[in-house]
Amino acid sequence: MSQQTARVSKKAPSPWKPEKLNKKLNNPNAVLSLNGKWGYLFVAPFFLMFLVFGLLPIIYSVYIAFFNWDPLGTQDFIGLTNFQDLMQDPDFWLAMTNTFEIWLLSTIPMLIMSIGLGTVLHSQFLKGSTFWRTILLVPNITSVLAVAIVFGQLFGRDFGIINLVIGSLGLPHIDFIEGSLPSHVAIATMIVWRWTGYNALIFLAAMLAIPGELYESASLDGASKFKQFIYVTLPGLRNTITFVLIVGTIGGLQVFAEPLTLGSSFSGGDAGQFKTLTLYLYDRAFVGGQWGYAAAIGIMITVVVIFVSIINFFLTKRISSETK
Amino acid sequence: MKPLSQFTINPVTQDVDLPVHVAQHSLGGTQNFRRLSVNNKKLSAKIFTLLAGATLAAGSLGGIAPAQAVVDCKNAEQDGNGCTVVSFAYFGDVLNGQLVNDYRKIHPEIKIQEIKSPDLDTLNGQNLRTQCAAGGVGNPDIAAIEVSYSGYWRSYPQCFVDLSSMHTTVGNKSAANIKNDYLSWRWDQGVAHDGKVIGIPTDVGGLEVAYRWDMFKIVKLPYQRDEVAKAWNTWDKFIAFGKEYAQRIKLPKYKSEFTKARTAPKGFMDNVGTIFAAYLNQGTEKYYKANGKLDGQLVYKTNPAIRKAFDLTLKADANGIGTRIGQYSSDWNVGMQNGTFAVILSPAWMLDYIKAQAPDTEGKWDIATMPGGGGNQGGSQLSIPAGAVHKQEAWDFITWYLAPAQQLKMFQYTGGIFPSTKALYTNKALVGQPDDFFNKAYTGKIYASGIKNLKPIYEGKQQRCIDQEFGNALSLVINKKEKNPSKAYSGALTIIDRKCK
Repeated sequence: MSQQTARVSKKAPSPWKPEKLNKKLNNPNAVLSLNGKWGYLFVAPFFLMFLVFGLLPIIYSVYIAFFNWDPLGTQDFIGLTNFQDLMQDPDFWLAMTNTFEIWLLSTIPMLIMSIGLGTVLHSQFLKGSTFWRTILLVPNITSVLAVAIVFGQLFGRDFGIINLVIGSLGLPHIDFIEGSLPSHVAIATMIVWRWTGYNALIFLAAMLAIPGELYESASLDGASKFKQFIYVTLPGLRNTITFVLIVGTIGGLQVFAEPLTLGSSFSGGDAGQFKTLTLYLYDRAFVGGQWGYAAAIGIMITVVVIFVSIINFFLTKRISSETK
Repeated sequence: MKPLSQFTINPVTQDVDLPVHVAQHSLGGTQNFRRLSVNNKKLSAKIFTLLAGATLAAGSLGGIAPAQAVVDCKNAEQDGNGCTVVSFAYFGDVLNGQLVNDYRKIHPEIKIQEIKSPDLDTLNGQNLRTQCAAGGVGNPDIAAIEVSYSGYWRSYPQCFVDLSSMHTTVGNKSAANIKNDYLSWRWDQGVAHDGKVIGIPTDVGGLEVAYRWDMFKIVKLPYQRDEVAKAWNTWDKFIAFGKEYAQRIKLPKYKSEFTKARTAPKGFMDNVGTIFAAYLNQGTEKYYKANGKLDGQLVYKTNPAIRKAFDLTLKADANGIGTRIGQYSSDWNVGMQNGTFAVILSPAWMLDYIKAQAPDTEGKWDIATMPGGGGNQGGSQLSIPAGAVHKQEAWDFITWYLAPAQQLKMFQYTGGIFPSTKALYTNKALVGQPDDFFNKAYTGKIYASGIKNLKPIYEGKQQRCIDQEFGNALSLVINKKEKNPSKAYSGALTIIDRKCK
């Protein structure tokens, strides 16, 4: 019975196949209506939603970036004034440097740790690998706010666990909120905790795609496990590293919930020591009520993300062509 | 008055007296049992009981109940089946669950749907603004507005229903005839610049000092509330008192270990930053001056009280009386219990929070009058946004919820949230009740006398924005990121010029 179904389904016309192929089947008339156009119908829901909730807001925010836009009051066209103000706004540049610092502090350790974890998962000596793979995704599906609250307790100045450990070693406590670098470390830790497992799985998938023969011939040539990792695994991961870096950049330049909960205000600390770009955008839009200005910040974030992604792309491309 | 729900066949609520409840149960149950047993004789007794219960529940919710009965809307999600769902968007403790239960007893057909916002900025700054910009789409029926945003919203009366046009279904209550129940300056915070009434005041955030009398006693400082109030009747004396305390408490700084987690650095008060607003609110003028025009005149550059409050706060810091713990941080919550600090400038609505966070310290706290004689911080008002669907029901609820009787209950239920209805300030139930948690202090009396001293302050559009910038400037100096206070102050003025417009 199962064989029969298998044969039938093998013969069943696919809506994705062009007409030419259908004609080769025994009964072309039955499938004429399915000749490829159904595809548009199936993708339509996504594109409609994207149009309404993605594209229109983007166009709208580009539009209002050229206005002095008080959502409830007046809206005056002011040309490029918002962007000019932005260039001279110390808060914007502060948010920019903070965001990049947090991004650096989170991306590099995360990359190293997730490749390491991926290697461990890839090891044939690991018992219960499905269990470990599943466990790695748990941080990623935990609510960001819950994570931030728990980490807020860990990083507390007087009673936080981390400071209790530091104190028991006889060292002075670190104020993870007041300090600029400590607060960035705290936020970066939350990001690393959240994304390392997820990226480890992506690296694992890439490692599984590396042909086993490469390892076999390497070990025949007498390469150690470490050398195999350096000369076989890492080159095989080049494209994946680019992917993880670009996705990480897009996410990393939009850090929002972590700094918000750390300081429980939209100003990102008293001196804005952990004010990030998105936090500043939100602060201007919804505390300050300057929607046009906030839209201009949004556009600048997009420009920066595109710029950094291009650099990323060319850097990794160049590295990979050099090693070839 | 007998609650209507007593006449309902109602397995869900526990509002009714027990004997009546049980009698209704058995009566309804047997009726259904008989009817079912005729139809389905084969069903076992167990299934019968289950079915009888289910039919009963369906009957009371779906209207099969006897004619005189009223539906129960406790679990209603949307209008229909005789229920009206009135949505209420708020933050913090503005909505009290017990009072909502009380309202359900007299209006079982109304369901108050609670929409709690994580913080006041999300509701007052983001949601209401976005909804109003979209023409009222998605508006709740009732919205709570914090006083720091009231100045802003008074400039945009088009976003709200003019409450002076509303009349209650029963009793014909209107804004005009309830106005005199409230403190006049509190009422004015809900009146738009064009004269429309857009909000009715909830509580008053009277400000006094909560302190740990047991710790004052340990270091041999005055600890009885009258003595304490006298010892710090001016702000300078308060700072001197704090300095004395900090010197006498002499505990090792930053030497906490895992095993000795309770010996954290100790200081006099939680955060000196709170002095700024406390002092400023004791005056008559803050950042705005009424000039007969819509937004008032900005005076934050010229008002000498601001600089005075700024310097006073920094003086308190220089004398080392604060622990620099941010309010509502995890350190603050733990420190309250551990005695990391002995003093909090506490608005009336914070008393409840202290009780919840530091239950082990019951009886060790007390309340003393604030230096300069009482202050004001926080409080909110209830509005009906222009896009509300159930305007009439919302007005009926607001006038009930904020009437003196309910404001008194609010104070009693929460042990702190203080009424804005002035007639209560002589009521025994408010001023004659000692609070055990606060060493049997007559909290109602202490807060009421402070509130009577308050003078109205003109609140303008950018109140919250300006507040935040001065607060940030203070933190800069306190955290040693800017050594020159004058520079921090003028820096704040520049930022305000740019951002708060």
